[in-house]
Amino acid sequence: MELIFSLLQQLSVYLVIAYLLSKTPLFMPLTTVSGHFPQRIACYVLFSLFCILGTYFGLTIENAIANTRAIGAVLGGLLGGPLVGFAVGLTGGLHRYSMGGFTDLACAISTTAEGLFGGLIHLYYVRRGMVDKIFNPKVAFFVLVAAEIMQMSIILLVAKPFDQAWHLVQAIAPPMIIANAFGAALFISIIQDRKAIYEEYSAAFSSKALKIAQRSVGILSEGFNPETTKKIAQIIYEETGVGAVSITDCDKILAFIGLGADHHRPGTIISSEYTRRAITNKELFYADGYEIKYQCSLHDKCKLGAVLVIPLLGGDGQVLGTIKLYEGKQKLFSSLNRSLGEGLAKLLSNQILTGRYIEQKTLLTQAELRLLQAQVNPHFLFNALNTISAVIRKDPNKARDLIQHLSLFFRRNLKNNIERVTIKEELAHITSYLEVELARFSDRLEVDFSVNQSVLNIYVPTFTLQPLVENAIKHGTSTLLENGKISITGALFSHNNFPHIKLQVIDNAGTYVEGINHSGLGLQIVNKRLQNTFGEEFGLQMHCKKGESTTAEIIFPLVNNNINESANV
Amino acid sequence: MFKAIVIDDEVYAREELIQLLNETGEVEIVASCQNAIEGLKQIHALKPDVIFLDIQMPQITGLELLSMLDPEKMPQVVFVTAYDEYALKAFEDNAIDYLLKPVAPSRLEKTLKRLHSSVITRDFTSVTSAQLELVPCAGYNRVLLIKPQDIEMAYSDQCGVHVVSNESLKGGNKMSCSLSLKVLEEKTPLIRCHRQYLINPTTIREIKLLENSLAEIITCNGAVAPVSRRYLKALKDRFALS
Repeated sequence: MELIFSLLQQLSVYLVIAYLLSKTPLFMPLTTVSGHFPQRIACYVLFSLFCILGTYFGLTIENAIANTRAIGAVLGGLLGGPLVGFAVGLTGGLHRYSMGGFTDLACAISTTAEGLFGGLIHLYYVRRGMVDKIFNPKVAFFVLVAAEIMQMSIILLVAKPFDQAWHLVQAIAPPMIIANAFGAALFISIIQDRKAIYEEYSAAFSSKALKIAQRSVGILSEGFNPETTKKIAQIIYEETGVGAVSITDCDKILAFIGLGADHHRPGTIISSEYTRRAITNKELFYADGYEIKYQCSLHDKCKLGAVLVIPLLGGDGQVLGTIKLYEGKQKLFSSLNRSLGEGLAKLLSNQILTGRYIEQKTLLTQAELRLLQAQVNPHFLFNALNTISAVIRKDPNKARDLIQHLSLFFRRNLKNNIERVTIKEELAHITSYLEVELARFSDRLEVDFSVNQSVLNIYVPTFTLQPLVENAIKHGTSTLLENGKISITGALFSHNNFPHIKLQVIDNAGTYVEGINHSGLGLQIVNKRLQNTFGEEFGLQMHCKKGESTTAEIIFPLVNNNINESANV
Repeated sequence: MFKAIVIDDEVYAREELIQLLNETGEVEIVASCQNAIEGLKQIHALKPDVIFLDIQMPQITGLELLSMLDPEKMPQVVFVTAYDEYALKAFEDNAIDYLLKPVAPSRLEKTLKRLHSSVITRDFTSVTSAQLELVPCAGYNRVLLIKPQDIEMAYSDQCGVHVVSNESLKGGNKMSCSLSLKVLEEKTPLIRCHRQYLINPTTIREIKLLENSLAEIITCNGAVAPVSRRYLKALKDRFALS
């Protein structure tokens, strides 16, 4: 009985060492069963140490040692697998062997066997997909009980003389089984705690980061300016719970929210030495308020006592600005917020870049739109004038009409700042264009409109249909020796239970060849503008039955903001 | 008085130009054609002094039309176009006359003066392509545009030039073609095998040697063309047969 208590006493010192070690990064690899090489090495080193430690903490009895060596060997195997278990057991066993005594060989063999036994249990659980069980203290308890019984049997078998061994086993078996089993269970529970704390920490971190990312999506796509950054700063302030949040560009404060907002005003030129340093060196700067003092550069009585300045880096290493997290003088900066801050800086940098990209894309499409308008084909203009000069001789009234249509067409073309028009307006534009073309090709062109009333007040990007009709004539019907025919259709239909609009321009030439026509650019711009407005899948589709027909088709979903409510159908 | 043909695919453009030409009193319009194929037919039939030719027309452009004409029988040509950056540059460089639509009467006067003095060129090799892309042929009530590589042979008889293509053989009819054998020989891959026959070397199935240094060519689709003594050697040389 006395032996049990003294052994448990030794065990507690042993476990205190384990507990202290669990506070160090050394312990991290033990909290997962990754099977990676570094994890195995860590298991081996750490548990070999514990194994040897167990021998030293043992109590000498009858020329043998009652000890807690088995914990190291079995847990080494349990956490590191059979190879590690065997190696740990062998290391511990050889060490024990070097100490001598009549059980030296028996102990060396049994320790190695225990390590291997732990490893086999590990293998069993991994194969069954029950890795969780390995971290269960109960499992460790029973494995140790079994391992100790095995050890006692080996002592009885190997140690000579048998009488002495039998006597020894009777004395040490119960205390060793109990002490080792409890010790292992407690050891595992220390590891388990460590694991739980770490997981909780990462979970808290990820959920904060995710929440901020989710809330800030798209805000910066409207630009990196005081309005958008204010929204972002507010989100970060709410989610991280730091004292204050500030976002700057390279010259001035764009947004500031939290403690000290009374004197840290947006628009103020950056005066903080730290911020300027972060910008020029492109480096994170951290003043915790103790080692590195922080004093607000704007106001002596500012309550802020610590700051983390993180530069926002653009794709080419250029600094876009900074994000600053502050804590008050009475508070400590949590390391969680520190690493979160770094992550946020990356997130914001990416969002700013995306925002710029989108802005440039919009600018580009505007430029392309102008190009499309300017592209009014001189061929069309001069032929139109030629037609009119011929018509004047025979029918001055008709000529006057044509001049009206031609001027209407040009007037609409000049309205280059309108992003979208209703289908009705687009059709009017086509009509003025077609009136002129119909006069030109009066003897060999027919146009047929069948556009449903229901779609007339729906918006499309400006210059959606006209280029299609122009293309159908220029590269389609005008290349035919026989008569050309163009139909323009428009209707609502239901697709996946959602209302969609289908617009088609069909010619009877069937001459469209992808990429060959000079019209390529015009059609490409139409396609891109549709995709920008309605989404990638709603571009322009060209279908060509060679020598029979070419269909230019536009399909897009009907959404509320896409209808001109004020107009009468 | 010049005999003139106006070729333009737009009816008003033709009417306007004819009106302007009539007003000068120096031109007699013998035909008004709405495409190059009709134009080609009329040029061969009416042998005008001058043609007024639009460039952009369906299927065969004005420039392609010119490359189908026999350079020796080339009428004077005045291009009439609304706008054509590239062509105009080439016309300027090669002393080819052109009118811009809408045509100004004063500019037309100038063109007529040039026609009188014949300062404008009749050599259009600089602006026309060396090889034809399509050969217009007349079938029954239709116009066929045949790619030169689809032609098996071409021959001339009293009625004119005929073309046998792999397509026409299936239909069982030969088509008449308004291009001369000479133009076809120069501007298509066809080679001469007889004074009156051209053959496409890629569609020869058999060359049958006959007595008196004569031969016969049988094409992939079974059409037969005679080979005269004069061209047999060249033909043998081509296939390294001699």
